[in-house]
Amino acid sequence: MSPEPDVAASGRVAAAGRDPLIPTHWFNILHDRPQYVTSALSRSRLSGAAKLAGHGIQLQQPFSLARQSLNTTDRFIPIPDEVIDLYAQYRPTPLRRAVRLEERLGVNARIYYKYEGANLVGSHKLNTALAQAYYYSRAGVKRLVTGTGAGQWGTALAYACQIMNLDCEIFWVRSTFRQKPVRGDLMRLFGATVHESPSDLTEVGRAALKEDPDAIGTLAGATGEALALAAHDSETRFAVGSGENSVLLHQTVIGQEAVSQLALLGEFPDCVVACMGAGSNFGGVALPLLGAAEDAGRPIRLVAVESAACPKLTRGRYRYDLSDALGTTPITKVYSLGSTYVPPAVYAGGLRHHSAGPLASAMYADGSLEAMAIDQLTSFRAGLLFCETEGVLPAPESAHAVAGMIDVVSQHPRGEAPLVVLVNISGHGLLDLNAYRSFAAGEVESVSVDEAGLSRSLTALEEFNQSIVEPAGQGIPG
Amino acid sequence: MPGPCGQLQQSGGAAVATQDSSEVAVSDLSRQQATSVVFGALTAVMPDLQVETLTEGQELYADLGLDSLGFVRLLIELEGKLSVQLVDEELMTIELVTVADLVELVESISLRAAK
Repeated sequence: MSPEPDVAASGRVAAAGRDPLIPTHWFNILHDRPQYVTSALSRSRLSGAAKLAGHGIQLQQPFSLARQSLNTTDRFIPIPDEVIDLYAQYRPTPLRRAVRLEERLGVNARIYYKYEGANLVGSHKLNTALAQAYYYSRAGVKRLVTGTGAGQWGTALAYACQIMNLDCEIFWVRSTFRQKPVRGDLMRLFGATVHESPSDLTEVGRAALKEDPDAIGTLAGATGEALALAAHDSETRFAVGSGENSVLLHQTVIGQEAVSQLALLGEFPDCVVACMGAGSNFGGVALPLLGAAEDAGRPIRLVAVESAACPKLTRGRYRYDLSDALGTTPITKVYSLGSTYVPPAVYAGGLRHHSAGPLASAMYADGSLEAMAIDQLTSFRAGLLFCETEGVLPAPESAHAVAGMIDVVSQHPRGEAPLVVLVNISGHGLLDLNAYRSFAAGEVESVSVDEAGLSRSLTALEEFNQSIVEPAGQGIPG
Repeated sequence: MPGPCGQLQQSGGAAVATQDSSEVAVSDLSRQQATSVVFGALTAVMPDLQVETLTEGQELYADLGLDSLGFVRLLIELEGKLSVQLVDEELMTIELVTVADLVELVESISLRAAK
């Protein structure tokens, strides 16, 4: 996949001596499918909005970054030169055929994987961290704060902030903060200040600790704490690691490279598989493939793999919901387990967000993607098998994608043409060795949803949606 | 110290379609015309609003329900109506409470265009 010929012929890639496989533009699915543009619920339709009198409106994101989430005009959006130069430190990322895995599984399939773990921070998160830090730095922001689940996003943002001379403060969900102390060291090595969330630094954190001093934390809570901190400092802004359209946009370098790399091999996938937290690694690999498939007039199957402990797509409801515990970010329609749901602690902390992002949710609602939920035991088995056969240890989140992919290829009939599958390995698991060690020792347990907690959370979600005031003459927007 | 839009980039000789469909140069906007542009932009991004009910004293967030996403839509709409390119650095520092604040933002764009 490449932009229009006049853009591709600009000569910028060759002139800079960059690898021509590195995209010079992000692929914008909103051009092809403008119906996916995020529509937020008007605050005037929430009871209690009047209490916010005197509250001003300020941009949290630089305008040029924020407008990317709403752009339906341009199919390809230019990547700033400075960001391409930084991408060139680790891109293009490898695309390989998993021949030994195919043989071990004995399946009628050709399995390709894209590996995003071979950069300093170890995951795909760097693709958007560098872009966001660039825009914030250019806009004059001095400090970025964020919430992180597995810690991959926090690590990536810490590094990007160091590159762009920004201060960085990170609220890290307690359950993974304690699981992965070395990853915290990496964030601090890049100059970030790291807090365990819930913390006593913000009202959001203090409220969570008051309710349960031993709270394991949620990404919604960590994000709420970061937002609360940003709200009290004019030189500080909140950065988000997934879910927003602009974040998915930045990740499309993955899928664009894959299209080119597969084309060099004379291949095009029948199916793309990726894990689903809020949708950035999934969207990053799947959206350009979807665009290329539609250009070629051929079908493509997109499979999102979520954690059985947090099955937002397969068991969630498509409703308006808050994305964080502070509740100040736009309220969008998403597949959600409810913002008060506390998923049980699992090693794949990056899959613990209570909702999918609005774009991935809209795709699931219209049938453009399939979803499956995988238990962490199954994912660790798949991750170890991938390590044994391919020499790559996937992050626990990525191991879910491997498990989902194995499920897909195992069901493909022998009598048909081989299934061509692409799976995204979004990060490495070298900072998760304690998890793999525990699994190998038989100490990792199967974890499913907290049914009682989910029931309460879904009830609260429905009550929230029922409380939305309908404007005169109109129903709740679909 | 520059105004809230001190580094706006403007395409030359741009004209603005006001609420009554008349075209006015960006650099010549009166207060009334700036208000008309703002009301037009607000109703474009928030179709639930009726222009007859809008006043400058209304609060964007508390009264009209405009959130940060709506604010971005509004700025994109204003860029189109005023034929200007808004610059990140200047927009990050502004905080708007009322419709009147928004009208003053448009006036400052007009003022810059006149210089």
